[in-house]
Amino acid sequence: MSGSEQGDAGVTVLVVDDEPQIRRVVRNALDGIASRVLEGSSAREGLDLAASAQPSLVILDLSLPDLDGLEVCRDLRAFSSVPLIVLSARHSDQDKAALLDAGADDYVTKPFSTLELQARVRAQLRRANRTDGANKRLVAGGLEIDLARRIVRRDGVEVHLTPTEWGLLRAFVANRGRTLTHRQLFNAVWGRAEGDAQQYLRVYVGQLRRKLEADPVRPKLIRTDPAVGYRFDPDA
Amino acid sequence: MHVRRWLAWWLLLAVATAALLPLRARLDKAHVALVFLLVVLGGSAGGGRLLGVTLAGAAFVLFDVVFVPPYYTFRVADPFDWLVLVTFLVTGIVAAQLLERQRREAEVARERAGEIDRLAMLGAETLNAPRPADALHAIAEVIRQGMQVDRCDIELGGPSAEVDERSDETIPARKRRMALDIRGERVGTLVLASVHPFLLSRDQRRVLGALSYYAALGVERIRLAGAQEEAETLRRADRLKDALIASVSHDLRTPLTTIKGIADEIARGGDHTRAYVIEDEADHLSALVDDLLDLSQLAAGQMPVTPALNTADDAVGAALQRVEGAMQGHEVKVQLGADWSVLIGRFDLAHTTRILSNLLENAAKYAPTGTPIVVRAWRENEWLCFAVLDAGAGIPPAERDEAFAPFVRGVRARVETRGTGLGLAIARQLATVQGGRLDFEPDANSRSRFVLRVPAAPANDGNESL
Repeated sequence: MSGSEQGDAGVTVLVVDDEPQIRRVVRNALDGIASRVLEGSSAREGLDLAASAQPSLVILDLSLPDLDGLEVCRDLRAFSSVPLIVLSARHSDQDKAALLDAGADDYVTKPFSTLELQARVRAQLRRANRTDGANKRLVAGGLEIDLARRIVRRDGVEVHLTPTEWGLLRAFVANRGRTLTHRQLFNAVWGRAEGDAQQYLRVYVGQLRRKLEADPVRPKLIRTDPAVGYRFDPDA
Repeated sequence: MHVRRWLAWWLLLAVATAALLPLRARLDKAHVALVFLLVVLGGSAGGGRLLGVTLAGAAFVLFDVVFVPPYYTFRVADPFDWLVLVTFLVTGIVAAQLLERQRREAEVARERAGEIDRLAMLGAETLNAPRPADALHAIAEVIRQGMQVDRCDIELGGPSAEVDERSDETIPARKRRMALDIRGERVGTLVLASVHPFLLSRDQRRVLGALSYYAALGVERIRLAGAQEEAETLRRADRLKDALIASVSHDLRTPLTTIKGIADEIARGGDHTRAYVIEDEADHLSALVDDLLDLSQLAAGQMPVTPALNTADDAVGAALQRVEGAMQGHEVKVQLGADWSVLIGRFDLAHTTRILSNLLENAAKYAPTGTPIVVRAWRENEWLCFAVLDAGAGIPPAERDEAFAPFVRGVRARVETRGTGLGLAIARQLATVQGGRLDFEPDANSRSRFVLRVPAAPANDGNESL
């Protein structure tokens, strides 16, 4: 447990990892982003720090010796809505979706590059600072989305969306910068109802892309995370 | 049928009596006895013992009443005539009995012949069934029917299994367990079970003896097939292990040596920009570790697969996203059909993305600098097809079979390019585990062309009106 004082005023990041080398790499990556970095070497210590120090963001290793990563996510979410980035080893694609479903906001796969981690951290901090009102109306690139008036324009031309496509877009805009799992998208669009339409989720995303993206095969707005889901990131 | 046959013989007896009646004054008793005996024997042979005996009785009465004076009474004038009558009766009955026994024996012989036919058929089925387990089920079913029990199970397993004592054969039981032996060695157990306690007749036990020999053979066949499969798996694992050791010793050591060397240079105050080489080498090692893990998961049949409805757009898009920066200046042209409709398949998106990005990276490595790489997707009957084409030399015909094996790189590639040598092996296996296939199919201009086929799905049934 140590603190370093630099970076943006008031941004405290908690890093929980049992490997001191990884904590060091992450701490160095946060240089210039966070004003203070707290370190925990076990899940218990991490959860205690998250409760007592009220960090702006938590970076959590998936494989801690004392508690399963999924458990830690759920425990943390029981008392805090702090942005949470999970560090995971590859070869756990199914686990990643489960983690996001359990409340993680994003994940970074080991071995990760410093640039990638920094981008993810910045995106989460930006997301946390955005007010609800900012999501009602969104202008990015050639796209203009007004959720309240149900209007989407691409390069000034109004685009007609089906109800399902609207549901998807609403979920994407509300969670911009965040990877949504298929399950989260199902729940956002169809609620808890079961139905045949759900298996076509990815087809609907494809249709939405064809209406919003300049090149649907090289999407800039709705990016695919093959094993997990989709990320709507007009700011990237 | 039965009644009609009886009536016919009774009628014949009546006709014979009526025919002899006008001649009775001139007939000897022996003539009458012989004619009646003919009828009785005929009846026995044609209608069985009961008909023979009753015909003999009736003929005896007719003989006495109609042909032995005084006529139309039971009385017999000459006591010697009794001898004739009784001899006739006894001859008739004994002949009926003998004929019956003869017929029984013929029937048993026919049954045995049928049994032998069934056993021969079962033997042929046992040997012919494509899967050993099917043969065993067939045998169990034949035994169940033959023994008229509710269940017949054949359990695989060695000498430890419990079986009944021989002396228990005479006690009714709900369940009987018998050893299945081959060359004196226990290979399994035959279990017969019924709701009600049952006994097996001597005949049933005899047939069971023959059938259980087939059951034992069936069990043995399963054991041998299993052993063969295991041996094949071991051989494959062994080959992979050899290739792996060869690869690890070369492909892992080379970057480690570089990393160590450069780190040392920097530590001694060398050029810090050389640290980027360490990062490159680390990336390469990381890719190799990923590939090795994937390959071992695939080899062990433990690669998770989640096929779902996915679009070709998504797979191609995700693959392009993944290889961004690794395309070494090659332009990638995407052709996903001219019309507005989305191509849909039932496949694992992560695996398909991986396959396509492996193919794209390969193409970027082998195609001449500056030439474009083309990705195509189209529907072909029940397949959704993806093709990656490049202007490279492709794979020489002699190397095409080997190209998809792990750790194989083209002769040229070994010198000029760098990779893990696992890309195509992993890609093909990832295609197979999701019910698809990956082939090298050069096009007419003999350009390099890999085609991935995954199961297609019907167009969006859950479509809303647009």
